[in-house]
Amino acid sequence: MGSLKESAVSGSNPLDSPVKQIQIDGLVVLKIIKHYQEEGQGSEVVQGVLLGLVVEDRLEITNCFPFPQHTEDDVDFDEVQYQMEMMRSLRHVNIDHLHVGWYQSTYYGSFVSRALLDSQFSYQHAIEESVVLIYDPIKTAQGSLCLKAYRLTPKLMEICKEKDFSPEALKKACIGYEHMLEEVPIVIKNSHLINVLLLDLQEKSTVADKHELLNLSSSNHLEKSLQLLMDRVDGMSQEIVKYNTYCRNLTKQQQQKQQYLQRRQQENTQRQSRGEPPLPEEDINKMFKPPQAPPRMDTLLIAGQVNNYCQNIKAFTSQNLGKLFMAEALQGHSS
Amino acid sequence: MSRFFATGSDSESEESSSADEITPKATGTTFSKQALLLSDDEEDTKRVVRSAKDKRFEELTNIIKTIRNAMKIRDMSKCLEEFEQLYRAFLKSKTIVDKEGVPQFYIRLLADLEDYLNQLWEDKEGKKKMNKNNAKALSTLRQKIRKYNKDFETEIVSYKENPEQSAEEEEKDDIGSASSSKSDDDEDVTAKSLMKKKPQEEEKKAPEASKFLKGAADEESESEEDEESEDWGSDSVDSGGESEDNEGAAASLAVVFLKKAQDGDKQPERKKDDRRKRHKKMEQVDEEADEEGEGEEGGWEKVKGGVPLVKEKPKMFAKGTEINNAVVIKKLNEILQARGKKGTDRSAQIELFHALAGISNENNLGEGILVKIKFNIIASLYDYNTNLAAFMKAEMWKKCLECIDELLDILFENSNIFIGENIAEDSENLAISDQPFRVRGCILTLVERMDEEFTKIMQNTDPHSQEYVDNLKDEGRVCGIIDRLLQYLESKGSTEEVCRVYLRRIMHTYYKFDYKAHRRSLGLQGETKSEQDQEESEGEDSAIIMDRLCKFIYAKDRTDRIRTCAILCHIYHHALHSRWYQARDLMLMSHLQDNIQHADPPVQILYNRTMVQLGICAFRQGMIKDAHNALLDIQSSGRAKELLGQGLLMRNMQERNAEQEKIEKRRQVPFHMHINLELLECVYLVSAMLLEIPYMAAHEFDARRRMISKQFHHQLRVGERQPLLGPPESMREHVVAASKAMKMGDWRTCHSFIINEKMNSKVWDLFPETQRVREMLVRKIQEESLRTYLFTYSSVYDSISMATLSEMFELELPTVHSIISKMIINEELMASLDQPTQTVVMHRTEPTSLQNMTLQLAEKLGGLVENNERVFDLKQGVYGGYFNRDQKGGYQQKQNYQRAPDQRGGYQQKQGYQRDQKGGYQQRQNYQRGGYRNQNQSSY
Repeated sequence: MGSLKESAVSGSNPLDSPVKQIQIDGLVVLKIIKHYQEEGQGSEVVQGVLLGLVVEDRLEITNCFPFPQHTEDDVDFDEVQYQMEMMRSLRHVNIDHLHVGWYQSTYYGSFVSRALLDSQFSYQHAIEESVVLIYDPIKTAQGSLCLKAYRLTPKLMEICKEKDFSPEALKKACIGYEHMLEEVPIVIKNSHLINVLLLDLQEKSTVADKHELLNLSSSNHLEKSLQLLMDRVDGMSQEIVKYNTYCRNLTKQQQQKQQYLQRRQQENTQRQSRGEPPLPEEDINKMFKPPQAPPRMDTLLIAGQVNNYCQNIKAFTSQNLGKLFMAEALQGHSS
Repeated sequence: MSRFFATGSDSESEESSSADEITPKATGTTFSKQALLLSDDEEDTKRVVRSAKDKRFEELTNIIKTIRNAMKIRDMSKCLEEFEQLYRAFLKSKTIVDKEGVPQFYIRLLADLEDYLNQLWEDKEGKKKMNKNNAKALSTLRQKIRKYNKDFETEIVSYKENPEQSAEEEEKDDIGSASSSKSDDDEDVTAKSLMKKKPQEEEKKAPEASKFLKGAADEESESEEDEESEDWGSDSVDSGGESEDNEGAAASLAVVFLKKAQDGDKQPERKKDDRRKRHKKMEQVDEEADEEGEGEEGGWEKVKGGVPLVKEKPKMFAKGTEINNAVVIKKLNEILQARGKKGTDRSAQIELFHALAGISNENNLGEGILVKIKFNIIASLYDYNTNLAAFMKAEMWKKCLECIDELLDILFENSNIFIGENIAEDSENLAISDQPFRVRGCILTLVERMDEEFTKIMQNTDPHSQEYVDNLKDEGRVCGIIDRLLQYLESKGSTEEVCRVYLRRIMHTYYKFDYKAHRRSLGLQGETKSEQDQEESEGEDSAIIMDRLCKFIYAKDRTDRIRTCAILCHIYHHALHSRWYQARDLMLMSHLQDNIQHADPPVQILYNRTMVQLGICAFRQGMIKDAHNALLDIQSSGRAKELLGQGLLMRNMQERNAEQEKIEKRRQVPFHMHINLELLECVYLVSAMLLEIPYMAAHEFDARRRMISKQFHHQLRVGERQPLLGPPESMREHVVAASKAMKMGDWRTCHSFIINEKMNSKVWDLFPETQRVREMLVRKIQEESLRTYLFTYSSVYDSISMATLSEMFELELPTVHSIISKMIINEELMASLDQPTQTVVMHRTEPTSLQNMTLQLAEKLGGLVENNERVFDLKQGVYGGYFNRDQKGGYQQKQNYQRAPDQRGGYQQKQGYQRDQKGGYQQRQNYQRGGYRNQNQSSY
């Protein structure tokens, strides 16, 4: 853990958001890392609750506690009950007990999913300032702490409130995958005492582990990322095919409807000329039931996820390229 | 009795005439005759009074009888009908009834009927089984009889209380003193004794009957009632009594016939006869109940069996008629007219024809008429089975065979007979004259039909029975006949006919392996002298025959079908005898694969058989790829059995109904022509293995790897799914195990799995040149294992010595060299040969898994873009299709263009050292795929 203070500031920062900055206690970061190391393996995901409070437009996260990993056997385990218990207990020891969001670990940056969307929506719906912290243990293990805070954009909140994911609604909302999540800048803050201690420790520590950053064997990580990316791309293709069929069906039906209406009109004019009453108007929607539109939210999410992967890979490869150039230069120098 | 004759009215005169003959002979039993005569006298006095009553009562009893019969067979609708009749008849005889009181038998019937109906009504199960009509009739009848019986309540009750007594009463009442001695006796006996008495009674009755025939109507009715009363003795004897009554009638009949046939009729014989008659009679009664009008006539013929024939024979020509052509032809036409009619006895007709043939022979009417009759005999033999689907009985067919043989004899002996279908009936010349005979009829059709019947017989015989073998022995005779016909038609027939008969000949030849020619080609002489003789006498090889016949057909035939069949048979024959190149060339020249799907199913089956045989032949010759391609179509469908016409697949009835199934069954190839399905599958799987395993090894990381053989992969998967892998048992397991060994490049294990005792007995020994095939197979396994080994493990080696490889795979050094060179040229193996050290130096340029992955991703993205474009298209399409379509094409092209250099090309450029490799792969793949397709299209 090279740096004490790391801020990953990126992305636009909408003005209308109640939270513009997040300040995380070092304790929280360590607790999250510990939680994953103890319970998470491989692609398993760990989650927990963040506690803290809002100061002006800054959200301070001062503590957290994990959700217990519960197995299938104990069905009667009540999560809400557990959370309430935990918070009450924490209040007794004079710790911030305000619920301000949750955290989740991720596997190679795959977190944009329906589940995350749903839970973050319910959080943000109930507690406006809630955030979700995404912790990437793999990157962290490679030497750079990766912790990001996300919030749903107000637009997405609107859509989720409506619960209408039809193509039209999304089109009307003008939402793209870029505008689904907003990232909130993070600041890690420690008390002065801890800072002093760390500085003290830095003096004493050896520099042995710094070379890890220069590791060139990166293909494993890339491969995994690519695999995941491919999987998502496949999903995307499927979604598109679905949408395509839907569109085709829709147009086909539209044509049929048109034909039917024309015929009906012709008949009516004929009848009029013969002096008969026109045929009664039937409910045209009953005859031509519009085909079920596929929900487009999944496509959006996939797009977001793909975007995420791409960013990851890009960042990773650019890093690697740098390393390669460095290595080349070194080699040239030595030879 | 009278009823009996009433029904058989058409033969009555005949009966009575024959009865006349009998009477003097029947004097043996004087005692009963005496009694009868006595009763006759007595009755005379009362006759006037009783006749009206008798007449009415007779009517009633007749109806009652029918009802009882109907009851027995549970024919409710009949019952109802008859009951209504009875009711009417009863009303008619009202006056008599008023005078005499309600007759006891009438009450009896009512009571019985009601009981019976109630019983039926209770029987829910039985009711369910009844058909609709019957059930309906049952309910109506039940209601009617309930209502009706109310009028007779007291009588019925009294009858029910004491059925025996009332029966007695009735008898006494009815019969009075007439034949009292007998009926009195009968009254007391129980059912058992009655049964015992049967023979006696029969004896008594026989003359009685003959006596009655003389026309004493009264007496008839008398005896009728007499017997009827016996019937009523008790319910349990009812049926016995009934049949006995019939027996009486039948016995008299029997006497009629027997007397005529032989004078001294012996008791046992007669009894047997009686029983038979009785049986038939019962049938007749039943039939009568069903359909009064027609049934009787048919029934009559059945009862009489062959007898009328004997009688008719002299009738064929009146005595003294001069038998000449005209008369015979007239008679012939007469018989022919009966053909196809419902009541005609077909076997009798055949007999008649035979008789006619005999007569014409006796009278030397010439061959013309004889031929004509023979034609008709054969035709009526074919007619014997009305249903086309049913097969002829083997005996019938043999008869037919003989007839055709004789016919051919005649035709050969007399060259002055012209036969043909086109000769009009009236221009026939059957008489002996200077002109040649002209007979209408087509012998070719008859022979063809005979051949088809033979096939049908074979289809319908259990192939594992001795019967099948026996039937199969007749195949030689069929061939003989066809050969003779062939000779005949070669001299006389038109080319079309010759073509047809040639095809027949071909059809009997093509599937037989010519062992003699095979042996001769191997340079072996027949072991024994006799065999040698046979060989000499046999003359031509089947190949030469086939060649001659087929070429004639190719040249002369104008119907496509015969030519197609001939070609297919020819190819089959070639393939069967391992003349691969001839077979393949013929197949390619015929272009049959293009339009075979338009042919009718039997031809398609033949085509499939040919393809399979071709594939097997290719396999024997070591052309693995060809073998695989030829067998692919048949095997990949998984319906080889059906496609080859060797059995039906189990399918649900939705896909085909019973009718279709019947049709399909008719298409089946007889067992002796079957192609061994296990052999077929094994050949296919082994060739798939030899192709697929190296291919799989070469394309382990290829995302777009294509399966060469789906079925083979399926087998592999099945093998993998097995939880516990024991030693292989079935052929498939052997192949799967061998494939696994080959994957590791372990050719020895692979070899031991493919060629061992089990597989030999199951598959390889079925080939005529077993040893050669096995050697070929070992060789192929070694080569392909070497290739697989190189593909799989080349990344492990920096270099490998060819000597080591040749040692490992027990191949000669040049072979190894050539295999490796080929692989290098085809860019399958990134290596070079180092000549001086005889080693293969690997280049180590296999793409890494990451690179493979990126390639995959690129392809997927390509798909994604395409899909996306389609959506875009659709949106645009709403406004104007034309413009956009053009645009789209352009866009796509650009895309493709972009994509190609971007992903593949770009990648290649970056990885400079393996510049061509990917392209090489791709190209080769395309080439190979194209190659397969090309082959598929062009060669088959």
